[in-house]
Amino acid sequence: MDGMAGQTAMTGSTERIEIEGCDTIPKLFWRQVQARDGRTAFREKDLGIWRATSWRDYGERARATGMGLIKLGLERGQVVSILAETIPEWLYADMGTMGAGGVSNGIYPTDAAKQVEYILNDSRSRFLFVEDEEQLDKFLQVRERCPQVQKVFVFDMEGLADFKDPQVMPFDELLALGRAHQEAHPGLWEERIAASRAEELGLLVYTSGTTGPPKGAMLSHRNVIFQLCNADAFLPMRSDDEQLAFLPLCHVAERTFTAFLPLRSGAIANFAESVETIAENIREVAPTSFFAVPRIWERFYSSIAIRMKEATWIGRKAYQWAVGVGLKVAETELEGRSPSPVLRFMHRVADFVVLDNIKRAIGMHRVRFAGTGAAPIAPDLIKWYRALGVDMRELYGQTENCGLATSMPDRIKLGTVGVTAPHTELTISPEGEILLKGPHVFMGYLNQPEKTAETLRDGWLHTGDVGFIDNEGYVKITDRMKDIIITAGGKNITPSEIENQLKFSPYISDAVVIGDRRKFLSCLIMIDYDSVAKHAQDHNVPFTDFASLCRTREVQDLIWSEIERVNQNFARVETVKKFRLIEQQLTAEDDEVTPTMKLKRKFVNEKYKPMIDGMYAEAG
Amino acid sequence: MPTTESILKVSNIETYYGPIMAIRGVSFEVPQGGIVAILGANGAGKTTVLKTVSGVMDPQKGSIVFEGREIQRMDPDKVMRLGISHVPEGREVFPFLSVRENLRMGAFTRHDPDGVAQDLDTVFGYFPVLRERAEQRAGSLSGGEQQMLSISRALMARPRLMLLDEPSLGLSPKLVRDIFEIVQRINRELGVTILLVEQNAHMALKTADYGYVLEVGRIVMADSCERLLQKEDIREFYLGIKEQGARGKRRWKKRKTWR
Repeated sequence: MDGMAGQTAMTGSTERIEIEGCDTIPKLFWRQVQARDGRTAFREKDLGIWRATSWRDYGERARATGMGLIKLGLERGQVVSILAETIPEWLYADMGTMGAGGVSNGIYPTDAAKQVEYILNDSRSRFLFVEDEEQLDKFLQVRERCPQVQKVFVFDMEGLADFKDPQVMPFDELLALGRAHQEAHPGLWEERIAASRAEELGLLVYTSGTTGPPKGAMLSHRNVIFQLCNADAFLPMRSDDEQLAFLPLCHVAERTFTAFLPLRSGAIANFAESVETIAENIREVAPTSFFAVPRIWERFYSSIAIRMKEATWIGRKAYQWAVGVGLKVAETELEGRSPSPVLRFMHRVADFVVLDNIKRAIGMHRVRFAGTGAAPIAPDLIKWYRALGVDMRELYGQTENCGLATSMPDRIKLGTVGVTAPHTELTISPEGEILLKGPHVFMGYLNQPEKTAETLRDGWLHTGDVGFIDNEGYVKITDRMKDIIITAGGKNITPSEIENQLKFSPYISDAVVIGDRRKFLSCLIMIDYDSVAKHAQDHNVPFTDFASLCRTREVQDLIWSEIERVNQNFARVETVKKFRLIEQQLTAEDDEVTPTMKLKRKFVNEKYKPMIDGMYAEAG
Repeated sequence: MPTTESILKVSNIETYYGPIMAIRGVSFEVPQGGIVAILGANGAGKTTVLKTVSGVMDPQKGSIVFEGREIQRMDPDKVMRLGISHVPEGREVFPFLSVRENLRMGAFTRHDPDGVAQDLDTVFGYFPVLRERAEQRAGSLSGGEQQMLSISRALMARPRLMLLDEPSLGLSPKLVRDIFEIVQRINRELGVTILLVEQNAHMALKTADYGYVLEVGRIVMADSCERLLQKEDIREFYLGIKEQGARGKRRWKKRKTWR
């Protein structure tokens, strides 16, 4: 019973793509396990101490996982889902599944039971790995409606000691089962790995559907191996690189960066303890290679901006001076010129006195590669990091092309996402949509031939992003095609440009600009609780809970002044005339936001419709 | 926020223990004649709030207005003379003094012997057991009796606002019920406004009209007690009511959202 038979769509040309002679993920994985042996593969913090795991142990545990799955009947092409935070066990399950010939699929740990049910059924998952009691409960709530799931493995059994269920197995038991099976059938694991084919479906990545249910994007081994081949085009890899793993592994960006990239580079992934300790963990690890979504970069910036407000007069002046020097250097370099010796000397001093301390405070003092992607970012934010001396580069891509479509070359052009990745094509359709072609283009959406046909036409991946290519080949993204606002006056407006500038404010966590078929632009704003609460406290503005904070005159004025500042950068029709604050503190579990805490435009538009209508009604 | 006129208005207070900020910007109001509860776990800063109001601790920032007058950073005895009595956590009666002497200590600022005698009668009315043990040393009383004595001693100053710190601490459920009942009567019959700090959320929410939830030095929720009792987070984290999980019990905790 080959679960995925007949699902394989076109994947471009058939030329062989390989790394060190390996054309699939499990082949490359197993080769590196042999080659790297006792070297450190990753670290995790356990009871306050960073503990290392070698490639040998990583390989052994992945193999035991895979052999356990084989013993329980996993066949080629069957799907295994993983429902856990970013922890090493995720990788054992991932590599174990793919080694055994299965298809690996991640589910967001913030998903509700209902979504878990949908994805388990849509992917026809035969096995499920869950992190702990909390995630297990989601499955138990819906298991009657997921009959094809045969067994569930639990990584962390805490609190489940007296829980017995024939369908549920502790992860350790699976490992023991796999080890016994390995003893009995030496060579079987290697056989399964050798049988993997490049064009075969390797993993499913569900894209958080802002419209309709999530869609399972099918990525082949070839897609991933091709991207690994391309990796040096955008990132200076070294085998002694230190990375930090903290974003959800279900997301293609983190998956590529943490699970796949080290297969080629040999970099060490350090697993953050929890979402709450990311800032601290980054300082401890001081990564040399670091990828994060704009939200994280915005947060670092806010933390420094807020701290500077509290600093002494001298401290503030020193900061302003040093960042000013840094910005001058960054701007000179961005113009393609090299800074004068005097400026360079001042930059050295600025670095010694201030900038280096700031980099240390956010753990960026060793970083050689600092990437941002998966969402748009304000160019000014990149410039600020460059002023510090952090070589930040923007990347662009999507799940459907396995993560990377363009990257920033050494000559940086701010406001663009760089140039097309090697050996791939990028063009603009007559409608202005960005189209991609090449071995990185995915196989299609699982069970959705129509959606696949819509997205993949003549081998061109229709990204849904609008943009253009400038005379030097740099790509600029203006917005998501469906997000473009056409005002009642008929003016086309790209909301994300305005939103990105708003998010640059330390007081604004996210914003959604509204105005489609309306007389003027308005926006909904999610405030950054910590910095706004601090502002209120500093100005003696009494408040109690989150909603009361949002309602104070001073906070309303504060946000309005931030909007007005951004408005200055836009033409009159493009300025935001009204706004409302979302008076609830949202968490990743809320439907309004994606797992990475971005507001979902469509959902927000529907849920806050009365509030939005109110803004336009009172304007008369 | 309460709508009736406030007897106490606290705005943006910040209080430190050395370098540690225990109260990180707290604002709330207590309406004239009402009962207001502040809920919170261990270390949330509840006691510190009361101590800051009564002047035992000084805030680094913010204002405390009692009956229209700023009282922050005033000495505790002055605050007490203005009409605020503090019933501290753990009773703190004078163990070697008799019950009667303890009660007289509560009235040490007063110079109207007749009034004091009358009030002595009143508190004996609320807590008859104290009359029986009037000549006994306070240290020999049971925990519940000491709590009664502590409340009575505070009443002897004829306060207009009484600060009650964890009156339920270490008492049996029956005693807790009795004491809260009397607190309510004192509020109704004597018109004393009450600011109550409690870990026993169930009792506090049933007794008070309005409640604030304090978490790590900040207020995260404010509403009438009636509505607070309905909130999911209050039910799960303060009242220990959990919806049934898939396995009949759910041990892991949801993230708090305070809404």
